[in-house]
Amino acid sequence: MTASVRNRLTWTESVPRSLRHHAPFWISIVAGIAVWEAAGRSTSAAFMVPFSETIHRLWQLIVAGDFIPQLLDSAVLFFTGFAIALLVGAPFGMLLARIRALRIGVEPYIMIIYATPLVALIPFILSLMGFGFAPKVLVVFLFAVFPVIYNTVEGARSIKPELIEVARSFRSSEWALWREVMLPYTLPFTMTGVRQAIGRALVGMVAAEFFLSSTGLGQVIMGASQNFDTAGVFASIFVIGLVGVAFMRVGLAIERHFARWRN
Amino acid sequence: MTESTAPVSLTVASVRKSDPLAERVRTTFMPRLLTGIAIVLAWEFVVRGLAPAYVAKPSTVLMAVPKVVVDPAFQKATGATLIAVAEGLAIALVLGTAIGLLIGRSAAFDRAIRHYVNGFYAMPMIIVLPLFSLWFGYSSATRIATIIFAAIFSIIVNVADGARSVPKEYMEVARSFRADRLSMLTGIVLPSSMPYLLAGFRLAAGRALIGAVVAEFFISIGGLGYYILYNSRSYHHNEAFVGVLLLAAFGVGFELLVNWSTRRFMPWYRRDEKAG
Repeated sequence: MTASVRNRLTWTESVPRSLRHHAPFWISIVAGIAVWEAAGRSTSAAFMVPFSETIHRLWQLIVAGDFIPQLLDSAVLFFTGFAIALLVGAPFGMLLARIRALRIGVEPYIMIIYATPLVALIPFILSLMGFGFAPKVLVVFLFAVFPVIYNTVEGARSIKPELIEVARSFRSSEWALWREVMLPYTLPFTMTGVRQAIGRALVGMVAAEFFLSSTGLGQVIMGASQNFDTAGVFASIFVIGLVGVAFMRVGLAIERHFARWRN
Repeated sequence: MTESTAPVSLTVASVRKSDPLAERVRTTFMPRLLTGIAIVLAWEFVVRGLAPAYVAKPSTVLMAVPKVVVDPAFQKATGATLIAVAEGLAIALVLGTAIGLLIGRSAAFDRAIRHYVNGFYAMPMIIVLPLFSLWFGYSSATRIATIIFAAIFSIIVNVADGARSVPKEYMEVARSFRADRLSMLTGIVLPSSMPYLLAGFRLAAGRALIGAVVAEFFISIGGLGYYILYNSRSYHHNEAFVGVLLLAAFGVGFELLVNWSTRRFMPWYRRDEKAG
């Protein structure tokens, strides 16, 4: 008995640390794929498609040459909207942080818009701006900008007034005050907003592609759905899911990187 | 000298006493009111000056309110959406809490499905609409399914966090009194995860509203989302915007309700928003 225990110990220890650490992850992924495969094979093909079929269909879509350009099309939309949201949201949030009266005045309205399902504005955007690229960017922007503003303002609230008073009593210039106090204190919070904004911008991207002019991945998946191409629907959802997870990881990494400043 | 200073210090004290309310009105209420007025006026005049006549602006939206509120179509749409959101949220709450507790208290279960929960949570929820419409058809079942899918993962993730963070001592005491697993779960883990549950529920409610509206857009079934879509397509922007205002009121209402109940029932607990 002791021998078998010893054996087991040596066996686990002989496995590299990184592999031991990642083993549950891979076991869970393989099991999930097996369940998916089994479920797909035991139901009608119109209802669900096994993993193998999904990958096969994805490969077909890629080889047909339409999928990658559509994916890039979606990416352009996402990054344009997201970049504008960041470029507008972070400075605006910090401005609110600096000018107290403005912050107090604007705060409740930002809260209200943040709590409102902004998808409801899409029909208005459609009828005002039509089918171009700009309305879709606006949708992504609207989805992404409020978490950035909201969290930046939260960060600004966490700045101790003494810090600003000390800086002022040492006659620091407005620029130095921003660089030395405002920015370092609000940035980690802004990055929390960035993480949340990534997820919301993805929703905005898909919503824009579904309900405004149909382009990108949204068009691929809508087309597949209308043709009852369940495998195509699964393939697109699979890709979007992977993109979502990857973006979430990037968001968390960015947030953690900046969180080191936050006490 | 002393006689003359006494009344002065008294008036200072009385001024200070009446200060907080006046101070609050001056520093908080007034800026908010003025900002609100500025936003409404800017919207009104920008639309008047630059946009076609059918575009919603505060004055015309306000005039549309009495007409819309008594409109049976609007009432029916509101009822349909609200009932669907309530049903979906209830199902998501029960299922999500159960799964969240399992993940939080069982390492094996956690390892088995955490990546899937996180993966689905990171997925833009509305991407499942084409699939759900294939599965459930163009019916209210698709809307309910979308709402559940939109809402459940934020509940699971938050409840699991809460169940994980139960102090070890509580469990040890319960175990030494030979409590069985079920009563530990319902008597200790669930109550101490409550603030997390509420935080998850707040996020879930917002996501459920989005899910409902998006499903109604997508499959064109009766509800507030469809009401907005239909009216804006037929250039009744003011009527449609009343629907948006109502959705905003629901969103804010949920938010306030959850914040209030956290403060009311769990005054010891303050927690920042978990995940977006």
